[in-house]
Amino acid sequence: MSLFVAEGLVKRFGGLLATDHVDLTVAPGEIHALIGPNGAGKSTLVNLISGLIPADAGRIVLDGVDLTALAPHQRVRHGLARCFQITSVFRNDSVRDNLLLAVQAQAGSSFRCLRRREAETVLMDGALTLADKVGLAEVLDRPAGTLPHGMQKRLDVALALAARPKLLLLDEPMAGMGPEDSLQMVALIDRLRRDAAILLIEHDMDAVFQLADRISVLVYGRVLTSGDAAHVKGHPEVQSVYLGTEGHA
Amino acid sequence: MAQPAFATRFPGAVRRLPWLVLALLAVFPLLAPTLGLEYYVGFVRRVLIVAIAATSLNFILGYGGMAALGHAGFIGVGAYTVVALVEAGVSSAWLAWGGALVFGGLAAALIGAVSLRTRGVYFIMITLAFAQMLYYLAVSLRTYGGDDGYGLYTPLAMGPWLDGAHPDVFYWVVLAIAAGVFALFSRVAHSRYGHALRGIRDNETRMVALGYPVFRLKLAGFVAAGAVAGLAGGLLASHNTFVSPGMMHWTQSALLLVMVILGGLGRRWGAPLGVALWLTLEEALKMHTDYWHWPLGVLLLLVVFHAPQGLAALLERRGDRQGGAA
Repeated sequence: MSLFVAEGLVKRFGGLLATDHVDLTVAPGEIHALIGPNGAGKSTLVNLISGLIPADAGRIVLDGVDLTALAPHQRVRHGLARCFQITSVFRNDSVRDNLLLAVQAQAGSSFRCLRRREAETVLMDGALTLADKVGLAEVLDRPAGTLPHGMQKRLDVALALAARPKLLLLDEPMAGMGPEDSLQMVALIDRLRRDAAILLIEHDMDAVFQLADRISVLVYGRVLTSGDAAHVKGHPEVQSVYLGTEGHA
Repeated sequence: MAQPAFATRFPGAVRRLPWLVLALLAVFPLLAPTLGLEYYVGFVRRVLIVAIAATSLNFILGYGGMAALGHAGFIGVGAYTVVALVEAGVSSAWLAWGGALVFGGLAAALIGAVSLRTRGVYFIMITLAFAQMLYYLAVSLRTYGGDDGYGLYTPLAMGPWLDGAHPDVFYWVVLAIAAGVFALFSRVAHSRYGHALRGIRDNETRMVALGYPVFRLKLAGFVAAGAVAGLAGGLLASHNTFVSPGMMHWTQSALLLVMVILGGLGRRWGAPLGVALWLTLEEALKMHTDYWHWPLGVLLLLVVFHAPQGLAALLERRGDRQGGAA
């Protein structure tokens, strides 16, 4: 039984078929990795699933709820949260304010306009819990934009976690990271599988083979093949279009 | 910034300053005759009314990141609401100004529902277009004087309690409303809603991905700002005892924008500071020269290059823009 099902997703940009009838499923507690060469349409797929760009055709179901017709912010309410390939945090705000804003989105109405937010301990507790979870409790007062890249990435993940997602979309969480930061991120994602199923888009093959229960290969907007690490490594076409050119460790 | 901000050196003074200013403003009409400044009671009243409108603009532009170039349109809607109500036989000031508030908000709801679907330059252009439509609508309204405007020669009644109590009672009413509006927006800025609005300004896509109903949040702010601008328009109608389409010309919207930027976008004191400085300089320069525009232009350039965050930034604690401390 799948937690998440995407069926026949299609997206055209003019004459280009960026997403070509993609079917994807994610089981509860599973980390499903999506790999593919640059330009394969991975980011487009994440944007279609999260709803930031509208799909031309197809259906998205999460935990029995059809999300296809819902706006992106409504999808978040139904348990679909995401991170961004290019780190997307509130750079001028402190880590605490970043987390407060994320917690606030899920905790009651944001139309409340007379009470000082700082007085709401519920929000503060939520923010601290998140900071602990991603290892940012020591830097709560730092402006997010001044943090090292690895920390900003972890903050990005924490912002998504605030929604208590059933499915977490991670769009290249290891992008631009040094080996040490990568290790930390791999450990974090590994811990997160207890909280949510994960669809992981990633270039770092070591990380993917380490984390993923299942791997799908996306080429020219189509799913070329899907299976466990051994299956994907052994697939001849995968080797030629992807691993052959990128080289795998 | 090379030197520590004024606020860091004198924190106590800055905290007490607003109350001092409010007190001075409150006693001003009583002192003015002795000082020979009676004429300026009316001037300060106008500054206060414009500051109300500017504060509402600062809220959506500075905190909400909505670069609306049609704010004078809402001021005009408020002013013409007063005209329409007077024409219909209403004589209560509270009813007329209340009507200005409501219709300013309604106009903002309709215009915002369309405009807020666009971003950036498109948003600027579409708000401008709507305001110009309102302008031409006013020009074509013969009943309310069309191009010539409409005179409100009988003052509206503020109730037996206030009317006739003192010649400057309208001044104090305006001061109370301005202080109330200012306190309200300052309070909202630190609430959940205020933080959400700033989040949208800084990173709208992320706010969507966090699950915020971005469009509705922006529309709520836009409507509140439109309502307050409408109220300012109603007060301005009473102040001028005259309403004309000119008050909603797009140059008026631009002027309001310039004053807010001068004072400090997204800063608590930005709007009143900018309005007070601009109108005072205009008033002072007009006494000496017909060419009073160019010194103001030079001032604006100086601020843009030397205090790009506006005048309020020089007074406020650093980091207050993010709403962290304070």
